[in-house]
Amino acid sequence: MEELRKTAADVLARLKEAGADRAVCRIYRSETQEFNVDGGTFSLFRTLFDKGIIMTAYRDGRKGSVSINRFDTKALDEAVANCISVMTSGEPDPAWEIAPLTENATFREGALVCDTELLFSRTKELLDTIAARHPSVVVEQMIASHTKSRSVFVNTNGVEYQSERGGYDLDLTYSAHDGEATSSFFGSTLLTADLDAPFYERGSVRRDLEDVERQIHPRAISGKFEGTVLLPPSCFSEFLWSAISNYVSDTVVLDGTGLWCRKLGERVTHEGLTVSLRPYDKAVALGERVTDDGFIAQDYNMIENGVLQVLPLSLYVANKTGGLRAPNSSGNLVVAPGTENLADLIAGISHGIVVGRFSGGSPGANGDFSGVAKNSFLIEDGKITDAVSETMISGNMQTLLYDLHGLSRETECDGTSVLPWAAFGSVTVSGK
Amino acid sequence: MLQDCVKELRPLFLPGAHTELRVQENRSRRAVLIGGDLTGNARSETSGISARVEKNGLYGFSSVADVSPEAAREVLIAAGDNARFMDAHCGRGEHRLPPLPQHRIDRTDAGQDSDPEQRMYIDFARDVDAYVAEKYKSLSSRRIITVADSMEKVLATSDGASGSTRIARSYLFLMFDAAAKDGTIYEMFTAFGGSGDFDRNFRDPTALYADIDDLYERLMKKCEGVHANAGPCTCVLSGELSGMLAHEAVGHTVEADLVLGGSVAAHSLGHTVASPLVSMTDFAHTAFGAPAPLPVYLDDEGTPARDVELIRDGVLVGYMNNRDSAQHFGMEPAGNARAYEFSDEPLIRMRNTAVLPGTSKLEDMIRSVDDGYYLVRSNNGQADTTGEFMFGITEGYEIKHGKIGRALYDTTISGVAFEMLKTVDMVSDKMTWISAGMCGKKQPMPVGMGGPALRCRVMIGGR
Repeated sequence: MEELRKTAADVLARLKEAGADRAVCRIYRSETQEFNVDGGTFSLFRTLFDKGIIMTAYRDGRKGSVSINRFDTKALDEAVANCISVMTSGEPDPAWEIAPLTENATFREGALVCDTELLFSRTKELLDTIAARHPSVVVEQMIASHTKSRSVFVNTNGVEYQSERGGYDLDLTYSAHDGEATSSFFGSTLLTADLDAPFYERGSVRRDLEDVERQIHPRAISGKFEGTVLLPPSCFSEFLWSAISNYVSDTVVLDGTGLWCRKLGERVTHEGLTVSLRPYDKAVALGERVTDDGFIAQDYNMIENGVLQVLPLSLYVANKTGGLRAPNSSGNLVVAPGTENLADLIAGISHGIVVGRFSGGSPGANGDFSGVAKNSFLIEDGKITDAVSETMISGNMQTLLYDLHGLSRETECDGTSVLPWAAFGSVTVSGK
Repeated sequence: MLQDCVKELRPLFLPGAHTELRVQENRSRRAVLIGGDLTGNARSETSGISARVEKNGLYGFSSVADVSPEAAREVLIAAGDNARFMDAHCGRGEHRLPPLPQHRIDRTDAGQDSDPEQRMYIDFARDVDAYVAEKYKSLSSRRIITVADSMEKVLATSDGASGSTRIARSYLFLMFDAAAKDGTIYEMFTAFGGSGDFDRNFRDPTALYADIDDLYERLMKKCEGVHANAGPCTCVLSGELSGMLAHEAVGHTVEADLVLGGSVAAHSLGHTVASPLVSMTDFAHTAFGAPAPLPVYLDDEGTPARDVELIRDGVLVGYMNNRDSAQHFGMEPAGNARAYEFSDEPLIRMRNTAVLPGTSKLEDMIRSVDDGYYLVRSNNGQADTTGEFMFGITEGYEIKHGKIGRALYDTTISGVAFEMLKTVDMVSDKMTWISAGMCGKKQPMPVGMGGPALRCRVMIGGR
């Protein structure tokens, strides 16, 4: 860590000496161990030794950034000169600020040492479990890895954060087969700070594998109907991120096209929805501790009972638009669960569709979306029936968010986010 | 410099194992203007060395963010240790790949390595922005992004295959938003540029003005557009979309690792999967007598790159392979094993995948449609290993009684590739290539894709 601190301090000093009036430096070293399974068999064991520096220089409102992955004197000399040149090329903008000094901190968490044998064992155990319990499933790819990193963030206001963290990732892609009949592929992911439990028992892995086995012989539906869409947690998370990106992200707030830009304090969704960014949630592994702008991360509610409480803005866009920066810049999405059991939620849907994965175009600025419902099932008279194929769904994200039919009591956590199942109305389902 | 480094390191290869040693540098440059504000102004460079060691069909890999003999020694030892670990824990027994022929391929000529200063990216974007801001004041927003990226590699293998390559590309992306009469915002974008460094592709902003004017006019039409009528329809796909089809819906299903992972193409080799009018090739470096958009001369396993014929007259005739899968399927590797960064292992990737042109004229194809759509541009595409695909359509038009009609709002099309391709009954005689995007498959990868216009049946989303 001392090497990183020394190099980071050296970079700041060099940038100031070269003409910057303010500067920021992030520096890290990481080591990754990674097992790969391809086509159902082990194929590769990777060990990566990585490092990098991102330096940013400011002068008279101009900003420039350079990132490199070498720490030698010659590389640093060139990078500093390059960074000053990039900065000088920039345009003055008083909205560029750096974090003030409040309190410096050191973070040390997670699995700081990789248990390589146990990681291999857990990976093989999952492969063996899939072969035994889900014989129709073909594992297209499995990547099981451990990454430990040490990093330092410093700026010329005296801010310094040191961080040492480690965790295990699982990324599993698979499909189910019966002769030439095949399901769509599906993916399960996990982030965890320990290997105490089998991968199979974590997150949604078991349920995902069970679901995909029931999707080998899907039914193509005919005609179209307006019905209810039930989103499992992973698909619900993607839907919410798509809405956030479309309606209230930095870019759309800056250019003024986001529908929620001027709706702070107003209702933007059904009152049953409370959406938070919670890097400190107990279920979240290795949540964000330092924001992209160099502040210590804090949990916050973005939408509370349907009312937009906080815009998820960076410091720059907050300054640019007269708003407040968000208390964290994480992807640690947490949605408050509902009061109904999932079974009751399904029982209340007369005609609808469970969308396991949505494959669609980027929604327009107004939130209109359309795409293919992948890994999906029909809901008929309160029961999940056949898997479906070649089925498109379309609607408007804003309309859906107001037309919330219910949230399940049950939640799932993949180590990054915690969400319940969500049922929305106003979706057009069309088949062949 | 990279070349010299690898030469010195060849004696360090582990005896008795197949070894690849690669030194690589990736660069990217980027300037972003949103509404005239410079919100992005950054350059990055990553370089390092990696080794991959194969023992009995299992691989060990290691990389270090450094280019030095010490780093090479470190990755060779770690990759060898990892290969031994895999062989000990899940060995498949004796297994050897056919050796690579000894050869040396040096092709670093994909544009001069001029690496212009950051000022050029900003100034060019500023010039374009000034033109747009002055002329099109009614736009709700405008975003202009200038980018360039390059990857330079030096490779040496224990079989004696070696070489050095460079791929560089640069683009200007332009995105406009405008409000329709009811206040709804619609977006239109376009990309300029292609293979080569920024100063080669962008010399004079005024050369883009006519295309910028055209983009604005098309956005205005979209603001007065209509929703597509959801359901199956006859459409004419532009060359850009047939290129996406070639890449997303067919290309991925015939990557041999995905075939082994359960793709629909596992059961289709030698079978009719498309209309006899459809042929498809993954071009390595040269297509139709000219350089392909992103030429690949040597892959990262050391295999010299050549074209792979995928579909011939509607019949699936080939897969894209690495050395391992080629041996499995009894095919010849053709240079599809590509790695994105120094720290990435080679994966089976496409190069320049295209539907081959036919004989029809686009205007005749449109004239032949009584009630359907002309679909021009997409902002994204995804496909399943079942061949089911989805493209987001950001520019399209009705065809009514053989004539182009009203513009469409954003929509989506979908289908199952090997069924949809059988409905192709007209193929235009002109190719369109695109190369601005990144293909995602564990690692990103710049790829080219192209094709002629196709008349076919697809499902369209809408109301």
